[in-house]
Amino acid sequence: MAGSIPGSDLAEGAAGLARPASSPVRAQRWKVLRRAARARLAPFGAAVMVLAVLVALAAPLVAPYDPLAQDLGNTLASPGRDHLLGTDNVGRDVLSRVVWGTRVSLMAGLVSVALAVLAGSLLGLAAGYCGGRIDGLVMRVMDAVLSFPPLVLALALGAVLGAGLTGVLVALGVVYTPTFARLMRGQVLTITARDYVDAARALGGSGWRIAARHVVPNAINPIIVQASLSVAFAILAEASLSFLGLGIQPPQASWGSMINAGRGYLQQAPWIVFGPGAALFVTVVGLNFVGDAVRDALDPRTRE
Amino acid sequence: MGRLVLRRLGATVPVLLLVTAGVFLLLHLTPGDPIDVMMAESVDATVKENLRRELGLDRPLHLQYAAWMGRLLQGDLGRSIRNGEPVIENVSRRLRPSLELALFAMTISLVVAFPVGIVSAIRRNTAVDRAGATFALFGICMPNFLLALLLIFLFGVTLRWLPISGYTDPLEEPWNGLRSLALPAITLGLALAAVVTRTLRSSLLEALAEDYVRTARAKGLSEWRIIWSHVLKNALIPVVTVLGLQLGTLIGGAVITEYVFALPGVGRLVVDAVFARDYPLVQGVVLLIAIGFILSNLIVDVLYGWIDPRIRSR
Repeated sequence: MAGSIPGSDLAEGAAGLARPASSPVRAQRWKVLRRAARARLAPFGAAVMVLAVLVALAAPLVAPYDPLAQDLGNTLASPGRDHLLGTDNVGRDVLSRVVWGTRVSLMAGLVSVALAVLAGSLLGLAAGYCGGRIDGLVMRVMDAVLSFPPLVLALALGAVLGAGLTGVLVALGVVYTPTFARLMRGQVLTITARDYVDAARALGGSGWRIAARHVVPNAINPIIVQASLSVAFAILAEASLSFLGLGIQPPQASWGSMINAGRGYLQQAPWIVFGPGAALFVTVVGLNFVGDAVRDALDPRTRE
Repeated sequence: MGRLVLRRLGATVPVLLLVTAGVFLLLHLTPGDPIDVMMAESVDATVKENLRRELGLDRPLHLQYAAWMGRLLQGDLGRSIRNGEPVIENVSRRLRPSLELALFAMTISLVVAFPVGIVSAIRRNTAVDRAGATFALFGICMPNFLLALLLIFLFGVTLRWLPISGYTDPLEEPWNGLRSLALPAITLGLALAAVVTRTLRSSLLEALAEDYVRTARAKGLSEWRIIWSHVLKNALIPVVTVLGLQLGTLIGGAVITEYVFALPGVGRLVVDAVFARDYPLVQGVVLLIAIGFILSNLIVDVLYGWIDPRIRSR
């Protein structure tokens, strides 16, 4: 697997100069972006992503009502002019809760993947660069983490770390770390075998300098691809965990917990489930398109 | 073949050791004292002290781990706090519904994925192909708790065709049993079908471009005949790989599906144990699930060698 990481060919082309931050690279970034934008469904994905980010940032302005304000005289109201997505079993506005839930979902997706990228890259870098015993130990630990079904591991870790968003973020971060560690290690092994690394070493570059200036910049593409594909899955995972009752605690709104709470009212008020459900589905589909577009743009092999 | 199995088994041992260490530490990472979790606060301090000594919780961590491993190797996973029964018994009682669910879901996914995948590959870039691709995308992006609720809404609440929760053992009452498993199995099966369809389509397309297919066409074989006797077996290898990779997702999906449909399976047991703070049970079940997962991955690897002789010799 290590040799066939998507994007590794591209890294070679960009790295011939061994001066990664120079202008040809920036020009290439633009080419990559343009290529990503040309993918068929990417505009839809990008639109969804931008909309989700805007809604999350401007939640207090966008939400028509206080997401926590109960109105016991107006429970289970069907969607209408006053409440576009209806109200839930204690009369809270479903749309406002969906809007605030966007914040939780996006944060969960971005933060947990960022944690995993950081931890995984450092571990993979250490394993690939130091080799020997450190490599063996790190990679066996990563194998052990991968020996648990992801959701089960996240559940167990979430249970240990306690209910709350932080617990879930850390749990998901741990679950996704091995993917990035393996990817980074594979990249490091291919890159350190290249001539320009030998050249840098012959010129007397220190280990750290070579890692920071040559290895990491050239290894980054597949990491970006994997990260952009992982965000959608992290959002799904957070929703699953909060559906099961971990994660952000009531009365705060998260899509997963709203769907779970609406389960009992499927007959009288299906909108409690399908409002946040639609938001979740559309966001995940959109992010998947973006992820695919990023992959296609960065990996020459998947282009037709 | 035997050597492949042995080599894979050998590589599994250190990982298993780390897994047990991780699961063991799980209990010790829990915030607060396990004794306080097990007993009410009002219980006398000396009683707590005695229990602590009895359970060996006052000894250094590595000795506790050694003792725990010793018991583990004899098949003793500890007892549930809630019902006082051994973890093993708790799990074995829940095993049958889970296995039945997995089998049923797997069957549904293959029954859906093979026709859709094959037709999509043959009628490439037609409306049929695009419909198949949409189905696959839908299945991959749809969280299975949402799909479960959609199915409940449609078949349970609106049409009232199928039961929406509970479990009847199909071995005792076949018809009612299958009906009780139908919605959970569809929920779990469709997500898997989506992934298999996508993989099968692309691996069929790859295999269809091979020279031996041109030869078969030149011989005048029909397209179906070519698929059936030449292409399918070669296209199957990536499908098996993907099925193996999907195992973890499948187990996670089973946890959620069992939770939604109130199926008394192992997945439901994990969720209940987590929320009851029954840590020995969480520890035991998570360990057993991990071992089951590792073993199934091993089986997939061996299966892989069985399908593709080229891998065996490597």
